[in-house]
Amino acid sequence: MKKPKKERIRALVVKIVFVILMLSLWEFVAVSEMFGSSSKLIFPTLEDIAAAFIKNFTKGYAGNSMWIYIGNSLLLLLEGLAIGILLSFILSGLSIISRTVYAIYDLLVSVFDLLPGVALLPVVIIIFGIKPGVIVFLVVHAVIWPMSRNILDGFKAVPAIYIEAGLNIGLRKASLLLGVYLPASVSYIVSGLKVAWARAWRGLISAEMIFGVASVPGIGLFINQMRTNMKNAEMYATLIVIIIIGLLVQYGILDPIEKNTVRKWGMSR
Amino acid sequence: MSTVLKIQDLTKIYTDQAVKQTVLENVNLEIDEREFLCVLGPSGCGKTTLLRCIAGFEEYSGKILVDGEERKTPGTDRIMVFQDFNQLFPWKTVEKNIQYPFVIKGIRNKAELHEISSEALKKVKLEKYAKYYPFQLSGGMKQRVAIAKALALKPKIILMDEPFAALDAMTRRDLQNELLKIADEESSTFIFITHNIQEAIILGKRIIVLTKGGEAVCDKRNTMERPVTPASEGYGALWQELRDALYIHP
Ligand SMILES: Nc1ncnc2c1ncn2[C@@H]1O[C@H](COP(=O)(O)OP(=O)(O)OP(=O)(O)O)[C@@H](O)[C@H]1O
Ligand SMILES: [Mg+2]
Repeated sequence: MKKPKKERIRALVVKIVFVILMLSLWEFVAVSEMFGSSSKLIFPTLEDIAAAFIKNFTKGYAGNSMWIYIGNSLLLLLEGLAIGILLSFILSGLSIISRTVYAIYDLLVSVFDLLPGVALLPVVIIIFGIKPGVIVFLVVHAVIWPMSRNILDGFKAVPAIYIEAGLNIGLRKASLLLGVYLPASVSYIVSGLKVAWARAWRGLISAEMIFGVASVPGIGLFINQMRTNMKNAEMYATLIVIIIIGLLVQYGILDPIEKNTVRKWGMSR
Repeated sequence: MSTVLKIQDLTKIYTDQAVKQTVLENVNLEIDEREFLCVLGPSGCGKTTLLRCIAGFEEYSGKILVDGEERKTPGTDRIMVFQDFNQLFPWKTVEKNIQYPFVIKGIRNKAELHEISSEALKKVKLEKYAKYYPFQLSGGMKQRVAIAKALALKPKIILMDEPFAALDAMTRRDLQNELLKIADEESSTFIFITHNIQEAIILGKRIIVLTKGGEAVCDKRNTMERPVTPASEGYGALWQELRDALYIHP
């Protein structure tokens, strides 16, 4: 149920005031240069960051505008997300149809979910070499385990009555999976998507920072280049880009999915 | 009249617990076509289990035959109406819930599907709620939709497990009257479980009382003129007889 309007406006005002306060504090620290000689590096002024933000897009670095870096990152990310999500649906689905697959897959998910992608990086590089494919691999790794965990948990939590009602009207195995298990666990799937997206996004930036592939420069590489060139205003501006993309996905994709499924069906608050 | 359902030596043992529990033991039962059978019995005697075996949700030993053919798995010839209000798929509207079994069967024609759902909803007086999602309905309305969904499929047997038990007295009365009328017009056989002796007498053309192990200790024909009220002739005697059967065999 929606909160009353008054309460929502109040929360919004609190947030805006907080952000303005933080920005003013930042600006105060920046202008007063209270950290001595390195102050300009740690705290560039807001004007500098804003100018860098624009310059990132118009001029970019080494002839490549920020758009190119964003495009490269997002393409790799999309590829990894698509493969990861598809695989988790297929494998989790098979787990419902076969008990043996379930036992094995449940184990795999529990084990691999604990491994940070970057920890796998050395091995992966030895196997594949330094290629964009490695980044896709890491994104798939970031997505598939949390996504599968949520799908499996969601499937397990499907009320028996829906399954029996489904069996009663003639659904079996694959059709039961698509007709009952999947829609009944949408709230789990959506929260799985949220975790998967967050992990994929972070995993991607980390991977790009550790080894940017120069042929496909991404956002992580850009940050690294700014860092080595001591262009900290540009670096902060890039962090803002990362946050903006994250917010766009949250409010532009994930929230609408939630609104059009579980909320519409009265399955969540 | 021909027999639609034949239960032979049905035995059900639950093994998922530390102690094995024999819930139904050698149950034999024959039910006529177009019958309205009400099943009474003390709590825990195995009424729900019996219905679940017929529906094909449980494994058991013995035989369950519908029109002479053995049934071991669920099928649309036996549709279950549960006691739980939340038996409709929350992700489908009322009409889509009713149409869905037909979509599975391969009917894709929109007009035909619409015809099916609106006809079924008319029978339970919920035509206006076709586009609602289940969470937007009251408990009584959800049960009506569940009944409509069952009726639309024109099953041989409709299995009802205390579908009105959680409703208030007034809604319950309304639904009983509706069901009485529906049962009169449909060609399905009804097996209706209840705790309530009055409900059994109002609805049932045949009433059985089960005791532990699923043994029928009382099997009565109810020939009273409909609608039955507590003032009907013979009501008191039948009520007393059923009550005695219920309490003498705890
Ligand atoms: N899934 C199960 N696993 C183990 N035992 C069960 C299971 N379901 C039911 N039972 C047992 O079987 C017996 C009969 O249960 P059942 O639900 O059929 O009774 P009932 O006659 O429908 O009772 P009520 O009138 O309270 O609904 C009970 O003793 C119960 O403990
Ligand atoms: Mg019961």
